[in-house]
This record gives sequence, structure tokens and C-alpha cells, in this order.
Amino acid sequence: MSVTLARTPAEESLGLNLPHRRMEDWRWTDLRQLVDRPYPPRLAVAETEKDVTRLLEASPFAKAARQRLVFVNGRHRPDLSQLANGPKSATSTAGDEPILAMNAAFADDGARLSLSGSADAPVELVFIATAGPARTIATHNVIEVAPDAAATVIETHFGEGPYLANSVTEVRLGAGARLDRIKFENEGSETVHLAHAQVTLGAGARLADFTLHAGARLSRQNGTYAFDGEEAEARVSGAYLLTGKQHADTRLFVDHKVPRCLSRELFKCVLDGEARGIFQGKVVVRPQAQKTDGKQSSHALLLSPSAEFDAKPELEIFADDVVCGHGATAGDLNADHLFYLESRGIPAPEARALLVAAFVGEAFETVAHDGVREALSSFAEGWRALHRGDR
Amino acid sequence: MLEINNLHVKIEDEGREIIRGLTLSVKPGEVHAIMGPNGSGKSTLSYVLAGREGYEVTEGSVTYRGEDLLAMEPNQRAAKGVFLAFQYPIEIPGVVTMQFLKVALNAQRKARGEKELSTPDFMRLVKERAAKLGIAQEMLKRPVNVGFSGGEKKRAEILQMAVLEPSLCILDETDSGLDIDALRVVADGVNGLRSPDRAMVVITHYQRLLDYIVPDFVHVLSKGRIVKSGDRTLAHELEARGYAEFGKDAA
Repeated sequence: MSVTLARTPAEESLGLNLPHRRMEDWRWTDLRQLVDRPYPPRLAVAETEKDVTRLLEASPFAKAARQRLVFVNGRHRPDLSQLANGPKSATSTAGDEPILAMNAAFADDGARLSLSGSADAPVELVFIATAGPARTIATHNVIEVAPDAAATVIETHFGEGPYLANSVTEVRLGAGARLDRIKFENEGSETVHLAHAQVTLGAGARLADFTLHAGARLSRQNGTYAFDGEEAEARVSGAYLLTGKQHADTRLFVDHKVPRCLSRELFKCVLDGEARGIFQGKVVVRPQAQKTDGKQSSHALLLSPSAEFDAKPELEIFADDVVCGHGATAGDLNADHLFYLESRGIPAPEARALLVAAFVGEAFETVAHDGVREALSSFAEGWRALHRGDR
Repeated sequence: MLEINNLHVKIEDEGREIIRGLTLSVKPGEVHAIMGPNGSGKSTLSYVLAGREGYEVTEGSVTYRGEDLLAMEPNQRAAKGVFLAFQYPIEIPGVVTMQFLKVALNAQRKARGEKELSTPDFMRLVKERAAKLGIAQEMLKRPVNVGFSGGEKKRAEILQMAVLEPSLCILDETDSGLDIDALRVVADGVNGLRSPDRAMVVITHYQRLLDYIVPDFVHVLSKGRIVKSGDRTLAHELEARGYAEFGKDAA
């Protein structure tokens, strides 16, 4: 049954329909309601270099990543980048999924990386948006890792003001390729962040994909991971550090199409204030995908009685020789842990911050690059101090 | 250094009185052993001194170096030199031992108005103290107490004590779960910390530990109060005769 609803001002501004809660994938994140004002696309804003510089300096990876590709308000800025952008290529993200449809309509630019060899230094794709009117900023990125190549790619998203970021990243891993992908989203408190990552893995490829959501008033992140070749591994993890009225929803879809692949999903969600965190993870094991090893877990740390966590694990298994499982938990900080730290002289607020950082830290243990992992740790440790006044 | 006067303690929510009029005076340099059967209030005493939540002091006082200890937060007590070696050290996943020690030491130094220790100075200090206790560097890179054996946990407690250099050490059943070799290592570590300005309260069920950590005074705790005090020979008497003469305590 399809119901035709009158378009909202946001839908009018975009010329397309937004998903709503009666659609199963969007039951907790009703964009029709939550995207509550017009977000005209392709609206040029005059940015000042001072703002750009300040936002660029906000990246916690400045020390680790020397190779950058910088996008300001959706446009590549070669003058701020150390890397040249690749040529436009055909995209494989099409269809009627709302975030992809929006991206197909409005993305004119984006990062295009073709990585070969094995570079030690991470590449950082920086997406910043400067203060300005409400508008849609869409980017489409393609990251290709050649067979047997290895790379670390960071995506950082910063900005201020009431913009809607629509960010699609296609990732293709060749046979035996290895990619550590780290996405760090810490946009302003008025931002809407709608993202989609579409990943395909060749035989024997290894992916470690970590996403942190600490910013934006509303974020929705879709991730699809498809195994095209045997004996590949996808370790997908994420963390939320949310407070106030922030709302973050992650929906993952892992498609075991071939035998002998491994998938791990681990989400650690810290929710303070009236924040709401959602994790939906679907794993499909197709009939031919024997010897699949798939595990999924999501855990929430609720620091306030008004915070909320919803988890929806879905396993659809059509093969009979597989190991699959899922688990979800939600709870408060452990009082024994707190007392132990305090009894050693650590003041309670610092002790809480340490335990929060330890909780989310498990989600980025898979990040192999020491400098990047340490930057994530120190951000997580500082988060609590930053937001202590919000409660 | 520590003056406990007619202390009465209830467990919150339960209303049951665990400590019932305990009086104890500990001077710098002294080692006091508190012995008693299960349920006599030994662990409650150690938790109340360290400031754990869940206990209600209904009567009496605890003064530490002239200040009201019970009015202080647990971290303030630690900064002023009170240290509890836990009977069951807590495992804290995700917090690396080395980082934990550094944060703790520097928080204490900051609270005392001292300069924080630089990373190299701190590393040197920990390495030296860890070596004395036979603690491998690898153990310091692991999360606090996670996956440690019983002996490793107790040694880690003593290492914390050696790094934090408290003035009043409370050891709660430090011998439990240790074989004789581990007990010797732990006792050597504790004895190495004995000094004229440091006092120790050693809480134990068995006399065995007191062969290694020789106390100046021994107190028998029964039903929440000290019913007999003496010198080290009292521990041997207890070992020979048991706690029966002091009456069975309700567990």
C-alpha cells in the first residue's frame, strides 16, 4: 500500500520524498518529521578563510595524517589538499534508497581515491562546512584499493550551522586488499548528517571500518557490506558519544554471498542527556555461503535516565554450516569500577571520563594505526569534560 | 595517625549493624593486625575507611591526621595517603594498568599541590617498583586486573601501593588466594614499604600472613568490635585455639 502524503517544506526544497516511520528501516528515525525545514541543494555560500582554517584545525588527526584531500562546502579545494583528486568514475550507488537517491540528485563533487601499494601514512578526507543558511551539501566519494594493496583512509566531518550533509562513500576492495577506514563525524549541534557507505570486498580482502558519531543533532548512517570473494573479512565497528537531544541511527547490512567469509559488527554507544541511539544490524547468509562466521553486538552506556537506546539485530541465515550470533546490552557505569578508580585518588568526574573512554575504546581496537587510535582515545577521554555542562 | 572512636556502621537499605562500637588507635610506623572470623566486620571496616558507598555511620568518629576522614570523598582520602589493598581487586576492561597508575598518581599529586610527574619520570618509577615485585612490563600494558591470576592481582595491588606511596595502608585479606611463593613475594613487597612514617592495618582471617608481615599489635574483631588486643603472640594463640572463645559470628 502506498500513501501519498503532502510534501513537507524540506521535501519541497529537495524535490523528493523523505522516509518516515511507517517504513520499517526508518521506524526510529522519521526524516519527514525530524528534517523540519527547507534544505535547498546547491546553495552557494561565501566562506571566509578564517573559518576554513579554524575548522581544518579541529581534526584530531592533524599529527597522524599528512596527506589530505579537503572539501569545503562540498567542493574540492586543491589549494588546501596535499593529494590530487582522481577522475570521476562510474558510480554503482543507485536505487531508491532515500539517502542514495538524494546523493544521486545533488552530489557534484567528492573524493576519488585509487590506492595501490602499501602506504604507512593515512590519507585523510576532510569535509568541512562553514556557517551559513540551511542547505544541503552532498558529496560522493569513491575509494578503490587495488588487489593486495593496503591503506588507511580517514574521513572527517566538521562544520557549523544548520546544514544537511549527505555523504555517500563507495568502497571497493580488490582481492587481498586491506583497508582501515575511520570515519569521524563531529559536526555542529544544528547539523543533519545522512550518510551511506557501500562496500564490496574481493576474495581475501580485509576491512576494518570504524565510525564515530559525536556531532550533529541528527545522524543516520547506512552501511552495506557485500562479500564478492571467499575468505574475506569485514570488521565493522562504531561508537556514539551523544548528549543533549542528539539522535544517531546506524543501519548495517552485511551480505554473505559467498562461502568462508567473516563479519564482525561491534557498536559501543554512550548516551547522555536526552540523547537517543539506534543500532540496526542485518546479516544475511545466502544458501551458498557455507562456513560463514558472523557476529554482531551492540552495547549502550546510558549516563542519564532520559537517554534511550534501541537495538534491532536481524539474522537471516539460509546456509546450514555457519557460526552466527548477536547480542545487545544497555546499562549504567559500573559502581565497583568507579569506586576502585576513586579509591586510588582519581576524582569522580575524571574516573567517569576514563570509564566512558574505555567503554567506547573497544570499538576502535581494530584501528591498526597507532597515531589514529591514540587520537580517537584522547578525543573519547576529553568528550565527557567537554559536555559535563550539558546535563 | 588513625583514631577510630566508638564506630558504628550499618549497611544502607538493610539496616543491619555490622560495626558495633569499634575503637582503634594507630600511630605512624606501627603495623596492626585485625583478625576475626568471617562476618565479624573486617571488610566493612576496610570499605568504610576507604569511603565506599552503601554504608551508613550511625555513631562514632574516624580521625586521620587530625581530620575527619569520613567527611572526605574516596579520592581525597587517597590523596591524603589512605590506601586500601582490595581483597578482590576490581577488573577494569579498557583501562590500561600503566595509564591507570599515571592518572592516579598525578591526580593525587595535583590534589596535594605537587607538580605532576612527566611521562619518562613516571615510567622510570613504575619500572623500578615493578621489578622489585617481579612484575613483567607486559602485565602493565594489560587492562587493570583483567585476566590476571589471583597472585598477579595481589601483586598489582602492592605495586599500586609502592607507586602511590600512601601513609596508611589497609590490607584486606591480602593473603587470600595466594600460594606460599606468591605470599612471600607480596609480603616482601609490603615489608619493603614499612617505614617510621607509614602505618599499616593488616586485615586477615589466618595467622599465616603474620609470619611474613610481623605486626606490632594484634586485635581480635568479633561481632563488630575489638574484643581482645595483644602483641604478635595473640595471633599464634588464635591459630591454636580458633575464634570459638569469642563466639561465632553470624555470617
